[in-house]
Amino acid sequence: MNKVRRLSEGTINRIAAGEVVERPASAVKELVENAIDAGSGQIDIVVVSGGRDLIRVSDDGCGMSPEDLLTAVERHATSKLKQDETGREDLHDIDTLGFRGEALPSIGAVARLSITTRDAAADTASKLTVEGGTLGSVEPAAGPEGTRIEVRDLFFATPARLKFLKSEGAETQAVSDVVKRLAMAHETVGFSLTSGDRNLLRLPPAQGDLFEARLSRLSGIMGNDFAANALRVDAEREGVRLTGYAGLPTFNRGTAQYQYLFVNGRPVRDKLLTGAVRGAYMDFLARNRHPVVALFLEIDPALVDVNVHPAKTEVRFRDAGLVRGLIVGALRQALAEAGHRASTTVAETALGAIQAEFPGSAQGGAAGSPAGSGWQDGARDWVPSSSALQAHASAQMPHQQAPQADWGSGFGTSARVEPENIQSQALEARPLGVARGQLHETYVVAQTADGIVIVDQHAAHERLVYERMKEAIAANGLTRQMLLIPEVVELEGDAADRLARRAEDLAELGFVLEKFGEGAVVVRETPALLGKLNVTGLVRDLADDLTELDEALSLKERLEDVCSTIACHGSVRAGRRLTAEEMNALLREMEATPHSGQCNHGRPTYVELKLADIERLFGRR
Amino acid sequence: MKITIERGALLKSLNHVQSVVERRNTIPILSNVLMRAGQGQLSLTATDLDIEVVEATTADIGQEGGTTASAHTLYDIVRKLPDGAQVEITDGEDGKLTLQAGRSRFALQALPQEDFPAMSAGDLPHRFEMPAEALGRLIDKTRFAISTEETRYYLNGIYLHMVEDGAPMLRAVATDGHRLAQADFPLPDGAAGMPGVIVPRKTVLELQKLVEEEEGIVRIGVSDTKIRFEFGGVVLTSKLIDGTFPDYTRVIPEGNDKDMEVDGKKFAEAVDRVSTISTERSRAVKLNMEEGRLILTVTNPDSGSATEELGVAYSSDALEIGFNARYLLDIAGQLDGDKAVFSLADSGSPTVIRDVDDESALYVLMPMRV
Repeated sequence: MNKVRRLSEGTINRIAAGEVVERPASAVKELVENAIDAGSGQIDIVVVSGGRDLIRVSDDGCGMSPEDLLTAVERHATSKLKQDETGREDLHDIDTLGFRGEALPSIGAVARLSITTRDAAADTASKLTVEGGTLGSVEPAAGPEGTRIEVRDLFFATPARLKFLKSEGAETQAVSDVVKRLAMAHETVGFSLTSGDRNLLRLPPAQGDLFEARLSRLSGIMGNDFAANALRVDAEREGVRLTGYAGLPTFNRGTAQYQYLFVNGRPVRDKLLTGAVRGAYMDFLARNRHPVVALFLEIDPALVDVNVHPAKTEVRFRDAGLVRGLIVGALRQALAEAGHRASTTVAETALGAIQAEFPGSAQGGAAGSPAGSGWQDGARDWVPSSSALQAHASAQMPHQQAPQADWGSGFGTSARVEPENIQSQALEARPLGVARGQLHETYVVAQTADGIVIVDQHAAHERLVYERMKEAIAANGLTRQMLLIPEVVELEGDAADRLARRAEDLAELGFVLEKFGEGAVVVRETPALLGKLNVTGLVRDLADDLTELDEALSLKERLEDVCSTIACHGSVRAGRRLTAEEMNALLREMEATPHSGQCNHGRPTYVELKLADIERLFGRR
Repeated sequence: MKITIERGALLKSLNHVQSVVERRNTIPILSNVLMRAGQGQLSLTATDLDIEVVEATTADIGQEGGTTASAHTLYDIVRKLPDGAQVEITDGEDGKLTLQAGRSRFALQALPQEDFPAMSAGDLPHRFEMPAEALGRLIDKTRFAISTEETRYYLNGIYLHMVEDGAPMLRAVATDGHRLAQADFPLPDGAAGMPGVIVPRKTVLELQKLVEEEEGIVRIGVSDTKIRFEFGGVVLTSKLIDGTFPDYTRVIPEGNDKDMEVDGKKFAEAVDRVSTISTERSRAVKLNMEEGRLILTVTNPDSGSATEELGVAYSSDALEIGFNARYLLDIAGQLDGDKAVFSLADSGSPTVIRDVDDESALYVLMPMRV
């Protein structure tokens, strides 16, 4: 038996480093966070070979004095934790990103670290190097105010870790993700990220008020589409403020990766967010589609514990229910205000499809044919009348779907509205315009003040019926069938407790259960809407939901499945001919109904083409 | 094998056995019906490995033997043959079965009879007899309440057992967790000591069809795992559901003191009428009872509401209670007498419904919260 002995300082540092610095991206995260905490206005990051050979982070922040510099590379040394009169640090009052004092010593333990820094008071910069835990001495050096940190040969001191690194591309990607997340949360700081000689990110400090600045920073990172399809979120409850942007349901992605949550400026990954977002978007998206959101939570630091994990990507809220409720409520509110809005990408996809069908139509039309120039000249003073526009629009669309002849006969039999009366003029000013006709007995074409709208009549009506049902349920509550023979379901672990704690929420959804001894629940009432259901299966699903997402999604999803089936059967099908009045009524109701821009699976119910887009198609612009 | 048989007789027997055969099978021979000719009789057997139905019918046997062929195809062919046709069935050397009637001739793929799975009933220690009509009644009264939900498999059938408080009875009980139906018949000789058994839903449905046409006596044999019904030329053997039926007596309330007497037929019609207003499957009918009258209401926020008033005998405190309309109709459909009595406690407790003149059947229904 070996004797128990203390580990050497070097080993301790290397072990600690393993927790803080597990890959280049985590080193970048620590360094950039330091730069942000130093109050920098511009942060430049350079990585070479995915950060394995070199990571360099330069900022123009407050810098450090030579004395501080020496202390900074010692373990558990930080300038960020405040001390009270008795000299005790308060770990619950944290308003900086870092506070553990582990980053620099950890990196120094596993790499060749060199720090060049100058604070406002000093004339020259100081430089310190640490190699694999061996401390050099502080030397004067040249440098601007701020700090420049170079990390070379990461993990040279821990070869085992080196073997577990992923490919250069993957590590670079991870670095870029980290920087993007931090950049989103700090819109007033400029960021640049260079990998080798490639410029990956260049974000100038954003101007304007909080929302403008955030939106411009977010679209700088997620692309301009996001800005065009984002809904502003701003809500406050009991001193917790939630701001940010949420994407329209029709602007969805195949992964939940594009959902960002920032707590007091700190990017976190939390199952609470995933659950709350899924809950809020539930009846707008199919299960495998995910919305894009970036939410910023400001909360009293004392109400949140960020010291859960060395990398600080997880947080614990003292009142998780409040935060969840706030997120769900704010998102729902934003979505409801969006009304019938569908994402602009929908129209772009449509235009893209048309353009693909006619290669060169955008630019080559005029130059291609000799008659082209004359036609264009003539067209210059030709003001598009509504009927001519209608002809253009409708002539263009069917090419994608049906041969000309087929379309001709289809149009002949489909309803057609004559744009003659004055009332229709007034309707044109409405967001969805006035119905001009129905194509293939499936699509309603409407003219708006500045474009055309094509509505999928079945999808649109289905959504309307569905929204009406939801409203009725909300107004009248769900009827519950009481069980003659209550069903006892045995569960593992503390699932029964978790369910029992949420019993009130579940009762609101028509599912009444209570604890039944240790590790079991007894179900007494079920939603009548679900008929006879597999209670055991549902209870288990619910328990899993609560464990994973902290949200009782399965039950809501089943209720919504039933509602949408009923809605589907109760709505106008494709192939039904509609009269002008019916079409206009449909458009008006869509305008008045919240969430009518997408069907239950996040597909759009209508596509809007702006005149400008159509003109581009014809080479008029 | 070579037989000749009149089309009508063959059709009747085929009809009886073919419905046991599942439409899709992973074991090919399970799609087939086993035909055996011998001693002046043609015996047909079909099985899904849980139920086996054997029916014998008189036929003109040319040559004894046996074979198997697709039950549904055979049934469809015979069904389409003209009335009164003489059907001749032969099994050829080439693994085909030939069916000839008039100028029609069919050659069907056959499988050897030795491969046909035989279901052994084993020892059936408890044997008794009861009129087919009485058995049919036990099934009719309870069948609607059988659960179709698979996780509580022990509710997917009728619980047949004996009870001995008071006069010994043979009792059938079915429940789906929302409602319960119970029917009694005086215990037949020989049934005493039989175990309580759960007869699966599919067996119940098959049995119901067969018993409907039968007027005589049904001989029943029961063991712990199997049950067999014999009547006419038919022998139906079935496995039983291996599970424990819940202690249903606990959910039948004893202390319900508010009695309402109503004309069952009128009640059913009224429920049917008012529930027109809502097409949802979860539609609830609200029952408002006060001195001497009952008001039924259905409200549908989309389409309006419906109300109907019925004269009833009711003298307790006013009470409001909601039920699933479907369930009410199911039960109302079972009330044959003029007068039905609802015994209620309050709007959150089970209600007992029965015919006033018929103590042998009762229904328990759980209300909805509206």
